[in-house]
Amino acid sequence: MPTETLKSLGDIAATNSWGAIYPELILGCLALALLALEVILPKFAHGAIPRISILGQVLLLGYIIIFDPAGCCNGIAFGGMIELSGTSQALRIFFLLASIFVSYLAMVSFENKTLARVEYFAITLVVTGALSIMAMSNHFVMLFVALETATVGFYILVSYFRQNTLSLEAGLKYLIMGALSSAILLFGIVLLYGAASNPAMAGSSLDSMNFQNLRVFLEANPTDTLSILGMLLVISGVAFKIGAFPFQIWIPDVYQGAPVSTTAFLAVSSKAAGFAVLLTLTKVFSPLSDWLLPLLSGIAALTILFGNFAALTQRNLKRMIGLSGVSHAGFLLVGVVAVQTVPEATNWVLFYLFAYLLGSMAVFCVLAHLPKEWDADLSLDDLGDLAKKNGFLGIALAIGIGSLAGIPPLAGFIGKFLIFVAAFKAELYVLLGVGIVGVVISIYYYFGVIKAAFFEVWSFTDEDEKSDAPAVLPGQSLTALGRLAIVFAVGGSIVLGFFQGPLGSWLSGQ
Amino acid sequence: MTVGLEHYIALSASLFAIGFFGVLLRKNTLVIYMCLELMLNACNLGLIAFSRYHGGMSGSIFVFFTITVAAAEVAVGLAIIVALFRKRQTVQVPDLNALKN
Repeated sequence: MPTETLKSLGDIAATNSWGAIYPELILGCLALALLALEVILPKFAHGAIPRISILGQVLLLGYIIIFDPAGCCNGIAFGGMIELSGTSQALRIFFLLASIFVSYLAMVSFENKTLARVEYFAITLVVTGALSIMAMSNHFVMLFVALETATVGFYILVSYFRQNTLSLEAGLKYLIMGALSSAILLFGIVLLYGAASNPAMAGSSLDSMNFQNLRVFLEANPTDTLSILGMLLVISGVAFKIGAFPFQIWIPDVYQGAPVSTTAFLAVSSKAAGFAVLLTLTKVFSPLSDWLLPLLSGIAALTILFGNFAALTQRNLKRMIGLSGVSHAGFLLVGVVAVQTVPEATNWVLFYLFAYLLGSMAVFCVLAHLPKEWDADLSLDDLGDLAKKNGFLGIALAIGIGSLAGIPPLAGFIGKFLIFVAAFKAELYVLLGVGIVGVVISIYYYFGVIKAAFFEVWSFTDEDEKSDAPAVLPGQSLTALGRLAIVFAVGGSIVLGFFQGPLGSWLSGQ
Repeated sequence: MTVGLEHYIALSASLFAIGFFGVLLRKNTLVIYMCLELMLNACNLGLIAFSRYHGGMSGSIFVFFTITVAAAEVAVGLAIIVALFRKRQTVQVPDLNALKN
């Protein structure tokens, strides 16, 4: 008996292909190296640490894009814990790109604050690695551990401005909501595990938390009550993370209070990871699609409508972006529902995510350069005459917002267009209609932002209220690195709109 | 009466429900936090019971991971609660309403 156990352990160990997860290992090592550098380097050189972090990530991203764009070792590894595929490779590139922008945003917004800084960059790297592993997980244990590594990191990142009450309050709200959603997800996993490991049922397996084994079980028992309940709880837990209706209540508060870099991280990476998990799980739960598809379709429609209507009345910029992000989650959910009948739409959902990344990052880079002590208070009034004061930031904001709104020549338009094509092919006509209504409503509040930035704003501030301090113009902290980041995000939004060139065959699913 | 799997699962589900409604209804952040821990422990009990009665090991092993995760969450969570208390002198949910439009 012991030799048998040893042999099976040996078989599992033989599938530990460490080379397959080299980007995540490098991210982890880079995070530790940053902490070590803080101890080694003299105090005046500490400013270089964020730059080292960004440089390391850019080199890693460059290596992956040039030498390993399709993923070196696709397949199942680590004894069924992870499954690497083209999708997980694309998401890996996505998370790295987002994390570079987040590190840059953090560098800008921490500039004139007295805070411990290095930890922020180290935690960003660890969270990015965890999100990337989450996107490739093939087992509920791996999924839960990666999810929690990311979530606990996010608790810290949200409440990072600990002199600021708003940041701490946002941290506490995210903590309670995040822990609640993790517990719901975990209970769903428990029920699924219990149902699928029951030796009295057909298709049961001792390792029933493995996605392949679970799918075999669900195919054999598509009407099992316990598994349907577990599936509902797991989907609810994931819906919390992506901010889908009715689990979006935490979004405006947390997005407003968190530092702008963390808001960007939550809006882009955390949401994308949620969708990666959802894409994997919908495949596992496909035998239960009689329950799953109506549920997801309903959530998608309500999410689009709620996000857009709630964003209409917002004056606070970060709350507005957060709620518009809720409606983007709705569009992505439409894509996920369509993927069930039109498999090539997976890559279209990924394209939408990349377009959303570039548009959002352009907007967040502009927000980070507006002069305001705490960015939780940024409102539409702070954009007053941005275009006149700093034309570069004004144009960047207009293109970023335009791409998010889906204005024709930009990347966001192609993203929405592909999602609508997918919905049409999958014959989801109601969702298609709701999506189009959502786009029309969203144009109203997105253009409110552009109007505030480009046209004269009548403000009734008393002369007495004006402080004597010299006015700080937007964009004074803009460095060459910042211009490069903004040009990349804006340029990407334009280029991907006109020309999908090398992505063309990928988009058509070949 | 012998205690069987369904009794353990009923206990686990009730503990989970008590925790869930505690999170929704209680006003004190620390009590809410205890309710969250109760929910995680209800999950642990369910995992152990299924693992014991169905004969697989993966549930028992998963419990080690969830305990570790719960400990990490407590460490970070209490730090946030303490930092907030120092700033605001309160941890009652109705008083934490500074974030608004």
